[in-house]
Amino acid sequence: MVSSILELLLVLVEKICVIVIIAYLITRTKYFREILDKKFTLKNRAILILIFGAVSIFGTYSGIEIFGAIANVRDLAPMIAGLIGGPVIGVGAGLIGGIHRYFLGGFTCVPCSLATMLAGLFGGIIYLLRKGKFIGVPGAVLFAALMESFHMTLTLLLAQPYSEAVRVVEDFSMPMILSNSLGMLIFAFIISNRIKERETAEERDKYFDELERKRYELKMAHDIQQSFLPDAIPLLKGFELAAQNLPAKEVGGDFYDFIPISEDKMGVTIADVSGKGVPAALFMALSRTIVRANATRSPDVVDVIQDANRLITADAKSGMFVTLFYAILDLREKTLTYVNAGHNPPVMFKGKTGELIMLRAKGIALGAMEDIELEERKIILKSGDMVVFYTDGVTEAEDVEERQFGKERLFKVIKENHNLSANDMIEKIKAAVLSFCGKQPQFDDITLMVLKAE
Amino acid sequence: MEIEGKSAGNVGILSLNGRLDAYLSNGVESSINALIDKGSVRIVVNFDGVEYISSSGLRVMLASLKRLKKVQGNIKLACLKPYVKEVFDIAGFTQLFEFYEREEEAVNSFKGE
Repeated sequence: MVSSILELLLVLVEKICVIVIIAYLITRTKYFREILDKKFTLKNRAILILIFGAVSIFGTYSGIEIFGAIANVRDLAPMIAGLIGGPVIGVGAGLIGGIHRYFLGGFTCVPCSLATMLAGLFGGIIYLLRKGKFIGVPGAVLFAALMESFHMTLTLLLAQPYSEAVRVVEDFSMPMILSNSLGMLIFAFIISNRIKERETAEERDKYFDELERKRYELKMAHDIQQSFLPDAIPLLKGFELAAQNLPAKEVGGDFYDFIPISEDKMGVTIADVSGKGVPAALFMALSRTIVRANATRSPDVVDVIQDANRLITADAKSGMFVTLFYAILDLREKTLTYVNAGHNPPVMFKGKTGELIMLRAKGIALGAMEDIELEERKIILKSGDMVVFYTDGVTEAEDVEERQFGKERLFKVIKENHNLSANDMIEKIKAAVLSFCGKQPQFDDITLMVLKAE
Repeated sequence: MEIEGKSAGNVGILSLNGRLDAYLSNGVESSINALIDKGSVRIVVNFDGVEYISSSGLRVMLASLKRLKKVQGNIKLACLKPYVKEVFDIAGFTQLFEFYEREEEAVNSFKGE
């Protein structure tokens, strides 16, 4: 008894292994994938009908003997074909398995072949009811159990003589229901996995697309920003001027500009647009153009920036603003007349006394409100005096422990290196910031401009 | 960024905790916008837990203020750390916003309006 149960189990496992392999192979075919993606063609439909039809015939021949009765899984393939491919594929596979069964004959040949065809049809109807979505493992197993119960009912109704039919149903119903449900469980499980796998792959592709777009956007922001920075630094009589912009990975909207106003007057500006990426870069381009256009038409710093502010505010959507320092350098007078619209005060080093002066003035960032008050200030530049203009990317640069470079470190570098040329001073500050940050990636644009009186 | 919302009468209060930088500011912007969309036009933002604010953070505050001013609302700021207040200061935004030492003061200031 024990050995016969063991034997039976072995045979069962063997048949199930065949089903597993068939299920796996089918789900790996190109045609199955096309069906999952709802890309139906005459070719993939025909091929799946043939494959599932063949599996149905295999089901007929590979009957499993359980308790003296032979259970077969002929209905299984048409059921699955219907569930994943709809009525056409389901009925097609069912017809192949069913017609084959019909010609094998026997007194149950009519109900058995009919049940196989209906299995495909019902699977297809479930497919339509679920709008093409796979029913899932529990639903598929329940369908298989109900289908086989129906198969048995058909046998009782159609097979003659009735007494024989009753005997067959008594012996066969449990093995048939069990083996088909088990086969369906395996098949449905593999199909579900395949569907999940496809979804994961789709998500991954989407993620990579997104990443690619992001990268493109970063590059575009960078290109916009760089194209709006001056190509060359003007040579000024009696002064040294240097400027540099180190864009971060995600570009901000820093800019600097030199605007010739008259023979001995040069407009000088440094600015920082709020936010990052393409919006910041575009806003920078807009602000720079407006300031430049205004600056060339008036030598009055307050006037120029107030007007620019009105134009910028009209275009400042979603809270965008730009902090800006604008000055006119008078080469003859050796003075710097400036306004500060909410920008980090530039630092002036006095060559004679060694003190540092912050170039503050009452003002507000551009784009915040329509009419702004700006205070005009003027400083005299003597030989050895140096002004360091910067954006917050310098002072807010961070090390790995999120400590900021800060103003104090910047002041120290300026004081210790005031003998350097304008260009070398920029290099010195840049080196100090980068060595402070260490491995921490540069998060914000770093923009520096140095003006030195010879 | 942790954002905690509550209300006192008809004033919506948002307490922020964390760094208000370019990445985290978006969450704050959506929270404020959600409040405004629900009809809250009087908003207090408690900055007690904010150690750092970048220009993106300022942009969010300015955008909210502009939006609220259009519907006769206001956004008031409370409990700013000196560093954060300085960032508002440099940009000149002390002209635009009302600042309060304590959250209740900010909430109460709406009563006179």
